[in-house]
Formats: sequence, structure tokens, C-alpha cells
Amino acid sequence: FCYRVMKLLLLLLAACAAADRVLVLVDNMSIRESHSIFFKSITDRGHSVIFKNADESSLQLIKFGELQFENLILFAPSADEFGGTITAAEIARFVDQGGNVLLAGAGSNVGAAVRDVAADNGFEFADQLIDHVNYDSVLDDGSHTTVVANGKSQLMEAPLIVGDRSKLAPILYSGGSLVASPNNRLRLDVFKAFSTAYSHDPSKPIKDYPSAVGRQAVLVSAVQARNNARLVLTASLHLFSNQFLSATVNKEGDKPTQSGNKALVDALAKWVLKETGVLRVKSVQHHKVGEKQPPREYTIMEEVDYKLEVEELKDKKWVPFSGKDVQLEFVRIDPFVRTTLNNKNGVLSTRFKLPDVYGVYKLLVDYRRVGYTHLLDVQQVSVRPLWHTQYERFIRSAFPYYASSFSMMSSLVVFSFVFLYHKSDPLVAHTKKTN
Amino acid sequence: FQMVVKLGKPTKKEKFLLLLALAGACCLAFIIRLFSVLRFETMIHEYDPYFNYRSTEMMVENGVFSFHNWFDEKSWYPLGRGVGSSVYPGLMWTAGSIYHFLRAFQFKVDVRQVCVFIGPIFSAFSVLATYALTWEVSKGNNGAALFASVFIALVPGYISRSVAGSYDNESIAIFCMILTFALWLRAIRTGSMAAATTAALAYLYMVAAWGGYIFITNLIPLHVLGLILTGRFTHRAYVAYSTYYVIGTLLSMQISFVNFKPTESADHMPALGIFGLIQLITFYNYLKPMVTSEGLRQIIVGGVLGSIGLVLGGAIVTGKIGALSGRLAFFFNSKGAIPIIASVAEHQGTSLAHYYYDLHLLLLLFPLGVYRCFTDLHEGTLFAMMYGITTLYFTRIMVRIVLVLAPAMCVLGGLALSGHYYAFLPNLSAPEEKETSTIEKKKKEIKKAAAEGGYPFKRELAAIAAFIPILVVGSFVSHSIYMAREHYSDPTIVLRAGNGKLYDDFREAYKWISENTEENAKVLSWWDYGYHLSSMANRTVFVDGNTWNNTHISRVGQILASDEKTSYEMMRELDVNYVLVIFGGKIGYPGDDINKFIWMIRIAGSTPTGAHITQKQYMTNYGEYRIDSRAPKKMRNSLMYKMCYHRFGQLMTHPRAPLGYDLSQNQEVGDKDIQFEHLEEAYTTENWIVRVYRVKPPANKFSGK
Repeated sequence: FCYRVMKLLLLLLAACAAADRVLVLVDNMSIRESHSIFFKSITDRGHSVIFKNADESSLQLIKFGELQFENLILFAPSADEFGGTITAAEIARFVDQGGNVLLAGAGSNVGAAVRDVAADNGFEFADQLIDHVNYDSVLDDGSHTTVVANGKSQLMEAPLIVGDRSKLAPILYSGGSLVASPNNRLRLDVFKAFSTAYSHDPSKPIKDYPSAVGRQAVLVSAVQARNNARLVLTASLHLFSNQFLSATVNKEGDKPTQSGNKALVDALAKWVLKETGVLRVKSVQHHKVGEKQPPREYTIMEEVDYKLEVEELKDKKWVPFSGKDVQLEFVRIDPFVRTTLNNKNGVLSTRFKLPDVYGVYKLLVDYRRVGYTHLLDVQQVSVRPLWHTQYERFIRSAFPYYASSFSMMSSLVVFSFVFLYHKSDPLVAHTKKTN
Repeated sequence: FQMVVKLGKPTKKEKFLLLLALAGACCLAFIIRLFSVLRFETMIHEYDPYFNYRSTEMMVENGVFSFHNWFDEKSWYPLGRGVGSSVYPGLMWTAGSIYHFLRAFQFKVDVRQVCVFIGPIFSAFSVLATYALTWEVSKGNNGAALFASVFIALVPGYISRSVAGSYDNESIAIFCMILTFALWLRAIRTGSMAAATTAALAYLYMVAAWGGYIFITNLIPLHVLGLILTGRFTHRAYVAYSTYYVIGTLLSMQISFVNFKPTESADHMPALGIFGLIQLITFYNYLKPMVTSEGLRQIIVGGVLGSIGLVLGGAIVTGKIGALSGRLAFFFNSKGAIPIIASVAEHQGTSLAHYYYDLHLLLLLFPLGVYRCFTDLHEGTLFAMMYGITTLYFTRIMVRIVLVLAPAMCVLGGLALSGHYYAFLPNLSAPEEKETSTIEKKKKEIKKAAAEGGYPFKRELAAIAAFIPILVVGSFVSHSIYMAREHYSDPTIVLRAGNGKLYDDFREAYKWISENTEENAKVLSWWDYGYHLSSMANRTVFVDGNTWNNTHISRVGQILASDEKTSYEMMRELDVNYVLVIFGGKIGYPGDDINKFIWMIRIAGSTPTGAHITQKQYMTNYGEYRIDSRAPKKMRNSLMYKMCYHRFGQLMTHPRAPLGYDLSQNQEVGDKDIQFEHLEEAYTTENWIVRVYRVKPPANKFSGK
């Protein structure tokens, strides 16, 4: 059954990957122009993008229980209310049914609707991010809110989500920051602020402790739900803007360079739109060594062949997965066998001996890696004790006992003969004597 | 009654009457057990019979060998259970062969019908076996035997476990037991090896049928010991026991559940010990005439006793003889037993009222029967006495043993009643000496009678004496019928209220589960309902009535007794999909899970992993077990409490009681707004008796907690 669900899910994913619809909600249509480079790269990769005003009254994400879009991009930081049936709860249902969301906030005036969606996922928007050390000397207006970030130290080591961080040029960032709830264990703090940064309203004097300080302030966070739906949240809509994407970074003391924003947002978009890091199980087989079909039940201590075919989505094509660290567990509450699968061109296989313990086991592949979808495959098998005919008939160490029982039997026969015939002798002798 | 009184060989006419009476008794035994079929339907009763039924179906479908090797993956998840090697297969063999036999003659019967009627059929056989046993005990007294067989047909203590639908091991095992005893007495009377072998075969059937075989294993050596002590040990007894023990033990070891127990467990050691002892005694008797010196004789005796001690000591030290098995140890020390055995209702002591209900008249006849045995003491009567008195002692500890006691009571009752008639009936037919007697003559007669050791008004007294038992037996019969009708015919899966209303919630719930859940869904419930779930709902269960793994049951107890968060983690570990609880608060059904909960807590706390759960935490400060607002937090947060009383606070159970009034506990529920985080209600039956909850998968994403 689990397998079937997996398959359905993967089919769904496949459908998403093939021809999926992206709904972009914007505050006003000018964003379409100001962020055109970002949107163009999305459409170039084969997604059909639909722009709507966030407060348009005909909006609908789910219709008759079916998703109307596979992906949702919320570029409407100031929206207080979404139009149509869209609410934070509707977006939560959308995610529960497998929809992906990219949400961008802003440094100030974040609308209630966007705050609700973020709060649903365990995030709050803090004030404008200010860094008096790392700022762009040309683009900044003096408030030090156009921050220059260093990819190598501030991005998470997650190539599937952010691309290769070591090759990334400095990133321009302007906006607020996110404060994450520590209880949200699914989140990945992909992009953190530098330790000299803090969140505060730049126009006001600092009286209270800032709402987020240093590395605690999260700039981009990624969440992969348990059904593999993906969310990327950021507090900066500017991060995706044409201005930043094509800007040259000027930081005090450094040479001016082309910004790394393009590479970063493309990587983020690819990940959230499920173009990278998607795995699927193509087939799974297990059987006794030398057989083809799985038996109704295994017997203890048998040798078993296990084969799992895994594919990865790369450039819209399913190609064999090349990971070498996938492990198989043979679990009955606790794992009895844990072994790394041999990867041969996407076919992961192993041969192992069943334990000498009967029970109902699970052949479990539970592969969780940052950036990849959760690869889970569960096959339930029963392992039975030996049949009464399968035990050893003669045990070598018991030969003395066999010998003793046979000698006992034969000597009994001999003894009976001796006893019976011996008894008559004295009788005869006795009669002879009297005679 | 002429026939009853007459000793010696019966005439042809009497033989015919005897057969007729026996056949009548058999029919009676069969018919009195059919109330449940008339009042309900041909259904399997209670808990264990459902497992037996499921096993029988499996055996009929797949054959004896795959049954023998059956590994049941649907119970005791994820451990599984090797059913073939942990079951007494006699019952399934019997039902299976009856089924195939009838099918061979083109009777299109169903396995279920065969199973339902096994109890009544074997009760009829028991009547015949009891006849044989009493015949042996009384050395050929047909009257006593006939009385005993009528008693066994009617005794409520036996009816309780053999009504139609009560498809349990006991329903055939009692027959096997009586048969073994009868054949054993025959063997000891004739001293023939063939007779002893038949006894051993009957013993095999008994071993195959029921774990209670251990009683026979020990009673027969006890009988032999009794014979030795009373100086009645003969060569016949020697031959009978030696043959019976060797063949019987070898045969019993063929049952895979018994396996090597006869040579290892302490329960079986008395039989082996007696076997050794009679060899020594016989050897000693053989030597005695040859050894003349008194000193040498003493040396021999001393040597023999010393070697016995050495063997015993050695065996105990090397651990070849372990402690007594759980259930048997319970007989001798009921306080120290583990909770899982103590928790079973039928492992409680018997109350006096229960004796009366189950045995009635026989309770009165029992001492009389023992007296009769003493007046004519020989192997047979000694056996009957030992059987009766040992079982009587054990029933004080475990109510279930009344079933084993019942046949002993019948035998002794038969002896008593026939003895009574032997004493009085001849007087009834004695000729009146003088029809016209004056008072003086009468007086003379009285004196004369007194002088002869008799007494006056012999005939009149005899008439009264003959009449009274008829009245008493009449009341016994009506009592038995009443018990069979009112008390022992309820199938327990359909509940019957006092006003005749039927509650069929169990089957409703099991049907729902089988129709609405995934095929390999795992349903967690307390072990009582495991057999039902696997048989009727056909779903994987965690624990059931085969309580072979205390740790696993304890784990289930911990899940039910812990708070929702802890339970949820444990349930995820065990892959639980659904949880089922039995709740009697709406209709006032006292056998629900809230009532059993105290046992679940005890069992949960009986293993190291559950040691943090103690009974005290679930009681009020005054040591009361409550469910209302005074119940402690631990109780109110337990999964069991929450599942039983979810939504119950809004329900009116009685027009004059507040909302959420539990009619079973007679308290108002303490927590009227119970919310779940990880579970959701899946189904609740019409009368709320069965409540099924679905275990939700972990939240898809961050949920705020």
C-alpha cells in the first residue's frame, strides 16, 4: 500500500515537473516588469506563469479538491488580504496537497495576509535588516539597508537549494529578516544574516533590543513538508528584482563585481519548483537468491536479494540516481540488518542474510538528504520459522546418542534371548539331580 | 429402579433398558446445550473460540501440515506467532475430521456449524465416558454409572463450557479426561499392557486437546502413590503404570507445543518420580525374599533413598528442573503470580454461591459419595476420592477448575445415590410379615428388629427414602435447565440486557473495520479483543488471548496508560493504524476497558520499560479508582481515558443524570471536552460499546506545537 501511495505521489510529482502552472500573486503589475529577468528564466524553463493581482476576487487555488496550480509565488508583501478564496488556511491545504510556495516579504509594511502565511509555517517578519559594515556603497541610500552578503559564509551548504556557494559572487540583499520558531524542525535556514547585521526600523532611534540580531536573523528559509511539498520564504522581494540581478556590487575595500543574485534566485526557484533534488523509486524487487518472485513468506536465515531502482529528475528528464550512500534497513521495531546499497547506474542492490529471528519485518529505505525529496520505500515481509521438515535430520554432534540408542535396542534383544534361554538351564540341572 | 438396584450381570431386558436410558442421557446432554442456538444463532461465542475457529478454517483450507507449520503474521505484530507450535491442535483436528467425514458423505456442512456443535456432541460422548468411569470406580455397578451419566449430562459446571458455540479446548478435553481415567482404571484392574496402551492413547488425545492435561499427568501418579501408601500396590498396577507412563509420555512429546516439557519442566516431574519409585519398589520386592539379613536390607533401602536424593538434588542444581510454570505455580502461591495470569477473570477463586450454581445437588451428594468410597475401599474408589478432593482444593483458587471438578462430583454423586437406593430399596420390596398386627405385636416387632440390628417401619421409611431423592433430583434438573438457559448461553459478543434488548455492537464494529480499513492495517486493542479482530475483522493485531509475550502486552498497556504524546511515539514505532476500545458507559456494560484499565496499568508496570507506571498514580489520594473530576491528572490524560470519554461529556445517558454520566462507573465524567492531537475518531458503534480511533500520520508541516 505504501508503495502504491509512493507511486501516486511520484506520478503527481512527475506531472508537476512536466507541465506545471505557476500562479504569481503580486501587489501591482509593475512587479512583473521590475522582476522580469527572474520570471523570464522561469518561463524559459518550461513553466507557464500566470500573473494575478493579490486581491483579485476570482482567485482560487483548489477547485473541487483539485489543485488549480502546482506552484504559488507570493510576491505581494503588502497584501492585507488575498482575493477570492485564498487565505492562509487555503494555502496550508494547498501545501498539504503537494503545492509549492515561494513567498517574499519586505523590510517594512508587510501585509497581514503574508504574515499569516509565514506564521503558519513558523516564521515572523522582523524589521528592516541593517548592516553598518557590509553594505553596497553605490546602491545604498545611507541607511545601510542594502546589504552585501557573502555566499560562502552565509549560505547553507546545500548545493541543490542554493547552488555552488563557493563560486557565488556577493549577493545584494535589501529587506527585512525572518525569525524562525525553534519548534519547526522541518525548516532549513538557507541564508543567514552576517553577525554584524540586525533588524530595526532605520528611521527610528534604537531604544529596545532589535527584533533579530546577527546570525539569528534568517534571510531565506526553505521548508520541505513531509509530503515533499516545498516552501521558500524570504523577507526580501528585492532579492529577485532586475535591479539586483543585474547590479554591480560595490563594497568598501572590495573590487566591484557582478552580483551573485541571479545564480542564487535561479537555484532557489529551481528547487522550489521541483526541478532539482527530486527522487523517485522506479521499481523495487526482493526475492530469495536464485529466484525471481518474492515468496509469500521468507524463512529465517535465507539469503535475500534486494534491488531498488531510483531515478532523479535532472533537466526535466528522469535519469539514474547516482548517490552512493543509500542504506537498506531490515526492521522489526529495531533494525536487524543495516547495509549500504551498491549503486550500479541507478540500480541499488544488496544481498543479505535474514536474521535467525522470525517476525514481520520491513524492508526500509529511508533516505533523507538536504535538498532531496524524502525517498521512502517500505516493503513488509514475513519471516517464518523453519518447517518441521527443514531441520537437520542427523546432527553430527549427536552421533554418540544415536549409537547409544541403537546399542541399547540391540543389547535388549540379545539380553532377552540370553535371559530366556539361560533360565531353563538350572531347571534341567535340578531335575537331573533328583533323578 | 429394579435395574438400578440389581447387582451382577443384567438380563437382556435390563440391558435394553440400560441402553435406552444411556441414549436418553446422551440426547439430554446434547439438547440442553442448544439454548444458545435457539436464542441467538449458530455463532461462535466468547474470545478463544474465535481463534480456534480461525485456526480450524485455516487447517481445513490448507491441510494439516501447513497448519502444523502455520506462522501467523497477522497476530502479535511485528513478532508474529508460530501458531502450529504454540497451540493444542486436538480441537482443530477433531473438528476438521468431523467436517471431512460429513463432507465425504455429501453433507454440505459449514466449518462454522461443525465448530458450533462440537461442544454438545462431545458432551454426549462424555456421558458415555462417565458411565464407563463410574462403572470402573464402582466395580460394575450399573446403577451408580447410570446416575453419574445422567448427572454429567446436566451438571451446570460442565454446561458452562460446552454449550453450542463454545468452541473451546475444554469442550472436548473433558471428554478426553474422563475417558483417560476410565481406561486407566481399566488398565489397573486388568493389569494388561493393551489396556494401559489404550489409556496412553486417550492421554495423547487429552494432551493434544488442552493444557489441563497436566492435571492427569499428576493425578495418575498420585493415585499410584496412594496405592503404594495404602498397601494396595500390585503387579497389575506396576504393569499398568509402567506401560502407560512410557507410552503416554512418548506420545505426548509428539505434540509440538509440549515437546520436551515432560522431561524438563517441574510440572511433569512427579510422574517421572513415581515411575522411578515403582521400579525401585518392585525391585525391592523382588530382592526381599532373597535377602535374609536385616542389616543388608537396611543398606539397600538407605542406598535407594540416597540415590533418589542425589538425582533430585543434581537435577535441581543443574537447572534441569526449573520452577513450576506460571499457571501451576499460581495454584500454590496465588499472591506472587504475575499480573497477566492474575488478571484473568476465570483465574479468581470460587465463591460459595458459585459452587452452588455450578454443582447444586452434587455438593450434597459429594460427602455421601466419599463415605460410600470409604465403606468399600479399593483402587477405583480411592481414585474417585483423590480426584474429587484434589480438584475441590484447586477450585478454591481458580474458578475455572470447577469444570474439572464437575465429573468427579458426578461420579461420587452417582455412587452416593445408588448406595442410597441399595440401602433402602430392598426394604421396599421386603414382604410385610403380618398384615393385621396389633399394637402389641408391633411393639414386639420393634424389639425384635432392634435386637436384629434393624429398625421399625422399614418399608415406610424406605418408601420415603426412595421418594426424597426423586424430588431433589427433580429440582436439580430444573436448576440445570435454568442455568443453561439464563446464564451459560450468552455468546458475550452479543450482549443481552435484562429487558431482553440485544446489543450487537461488537460485530458491527468488526464489520466496519473489515470494510473500511486498509487490508494490512494494524489495529491496537487490549488483548481480550485480539482474537475477535483477527477472526472477524481480519486485521493485524498486536496482542491477543495467547498471552505468550508479557513484554509485548505490557507495551500495549503502556500505550494505553500514557499520555497522548508518549503513546503516539510508541504507536508510531509499532506502526499502529487504528486503536479500538470497549466502552460501556452509555449502556452500563460493566466489562468495558475502563473497568479493566486497572489491570492494564498493573501489567504495563510489570516490565522494566514500564516501571514508571504505577497503580498509585491513577488513583485518588484516598486510593479510589475514579473517573470523575476527582480523578488524578495522570488518569485523565491517559490515552484510554481520552478515547473512552471523547465527546462523552455532551451525551445524555440517563434522563435524570447530568450530561456525560457513566452508567457503568456511576460517575459523571471529569473531563467533558477531550481533544486529540494525533488521533481522530474513526467509528463509534450504535451504543458506544466499541470506539475505533485512527492514528494520524505526523503533521505534514509545522503545526505550531
